[in-house]
Amino acid sequence: MIASGWLLRSYVGLFFAFLYAPILVLFILSFNDSEVMGFPFRGFTLRWYGEVFEGGGLVKALVNSFAVGLASATIATALALMAALGLRYQFPGRGWVIPAFLLPIITPGIVSGVMLLVFLGLTGVPYGLWTGSLIAHVTWVLPFAFLTLYPRLHKFDRSIEEAAMDLGATPWVVFLRIVLPLIQPALIATLLFAFTLSFDEFIRTLFVAGSDRTTPVHLWLLIVEQVAPELPAVGVVIMSISALIAALGFWLSGRASRLAAAVERR
Amino acid sequence: MTSSKSSRSGWSPGALLVVPAMLWLAVFAIGPLIFFACVSFWTASVFGLSSDLTFKSYQSLIDEPVYARVLWQTLRIALITTFLALLVSYPLAMFIARLKGNKRTLAVVLLFLPFWTSYVVRTFVWLPMLGRTGLVNQALMALGIIDKPLDALLYNEAAVYVGLVYVYTLYMTLPIYLSLEKIDRSLIEAAYDLGATPFQTFKRVVFPLSLPGVWSGCTMVFLLSCGAYVTPQLLGGPSGQMFGNIIASQFLNANNWPLGAALSVVLMAVVLGCVYLASRRFGFQRLFVGERG
Repeated sequence: MIASGWLLRSYVGLFFAFLYAPILVLFILSFNDSEVMGFPFRGFTLRWYGEVFEGGGLVKALVNSFAVGLASATIATALALMAALGLRYQFPGRGWVIPAFLLPIITPGIVSGVMLLVFLGLTGVPYGLWTGSLIAHVTWVLPFAFLTLYPRLHKFDRSIEEAAMDLGATPWVVFLRIVLPLIQPALIATLLFAFTLSFDEFIRTLFVAGSDRTTPVHLWLLIVEQVAPELPAVGVVIMSISALIAALGFWLSGRASRLAAAVERR
Repeated sequence: MTSSKSSRSGWSPGALLVVPAMLWLAVFAIGPLIFFACVSFWTASVFGLSSDLTFKSYQSLIDEPVYARVLWQTLRIALITTFLALLVSYPLAMFIARLKGNKRTLAVVLLFLPFWTSYVVRTFVWLPMLGRTGLVNQALMALGIIDKPLDALLYNEAAVYVGLVYVYTLYMTLPIYLSLEKIDRSLIEAAYDLGATPFQTFKRVVFPLSLPGVWSGCTMVFLLSCGAYVTPQLLGGPSGQMFGNIIASQFLNANNWPLGAALSVVLMAVVLGCVYLASRRFGFQRLFVGERG
């Protein structure tokens, strides 16, 4: 394997070049002082970043994305947590729960989008951020929230809970004092994962968002309407925000699991 | 470990906790899907939708060859994309699985980072790469290899492959990496001790043990590619259109909801058929849950 070592390493180098070259190019072009998006590089300018925030379209889309992201992450995590807790018991039809959760993942995004468009359209529900987008995002994020939480609760040692019950604790007290502190890191990780999934969602939102654009929908409509010179700057701004959220997520979930480890040691 | 209380009575009130999530899915996922399938039997006219049940939409799917052609093209693009993603991802997964400690963490973070943003952005980045004023064309012109920009780089099937592999390759790399990581090192050492060459060890030990990850990745990439809309719309041009695009155009341009619903039912049937075949072989849950959980 030593002989193939350098071959594999150069391949991996090529792969990361393939992965990062387009992003680097976008970054460079966002400073290009040219009315045409592309090369040659005609000098450095910051004016495209100024135009990104002009008119307030992007800012409004970002606010919409944050709002619907927070709401759908909270709702989906709450529903997923309840379901994962409930699945620890036996009941008829239990085998159908996981397939039901997987349905929104298996359904192609485009089908989910137009399906909800028709459903809302024919039931008379108006399209918009708090109707179409919220419904689409919770439905899309819910399976992932469940798949992140379920394994943690499945492995959970029930004897602690049973001991508390035997000592006279009500189910609600057992949940608040025992289950919740133990699964807190998993819960935070799930919330953040759900938020990023919602923040990046596009195809399920496009058809039902009405006039309340989310960030990816805003970018899409800018690209489709015309390839404008400020587009690379818009792309860089959106990517930076996504990267910041991801970094925050890593930091918070790392801190939460260290905290939980400390609690468990004590 | 089942609690003694629940196993005695058959079901416990705690099971009621699954009801809210199931209700949500019933109202917003399963219900709309069934309703949508019904709409595919309706008819559209200038006066709006008529809910008389007919096979008109399905009849036009058969009568007009364009739909069968695009379906075939979609399946072909999805299959080739899956194969390309496998070729691209496998050596990478192998490389990362061999790294240790901080180096491995760094490689995984570097791999994840570009995927943390919307695929609209990740597809869009190829326009300034492959366009007339894009990096590739301008670099080739600067080097004197070509005189005028090549138009063949963008708006065709090949550009769709580049875009789809770029957008979906993580879904292939991750499960393969996870199954390679689980392989017991002593099995590989045993193969070497018994005189196997590196290639034999790979073929007889490593590759077979990584197959669950390979199949999981192939299923994910194939399913995602079958439903692609953004990539063919932005990079495909007229010759690189896929099924997702003709579905969308029934709602955005043609305003023929029943036909769009019928097209969606066809795509859904293809996807469910693939999931059924894959899960019969590998187990439904392992395909989606097992390798990741």
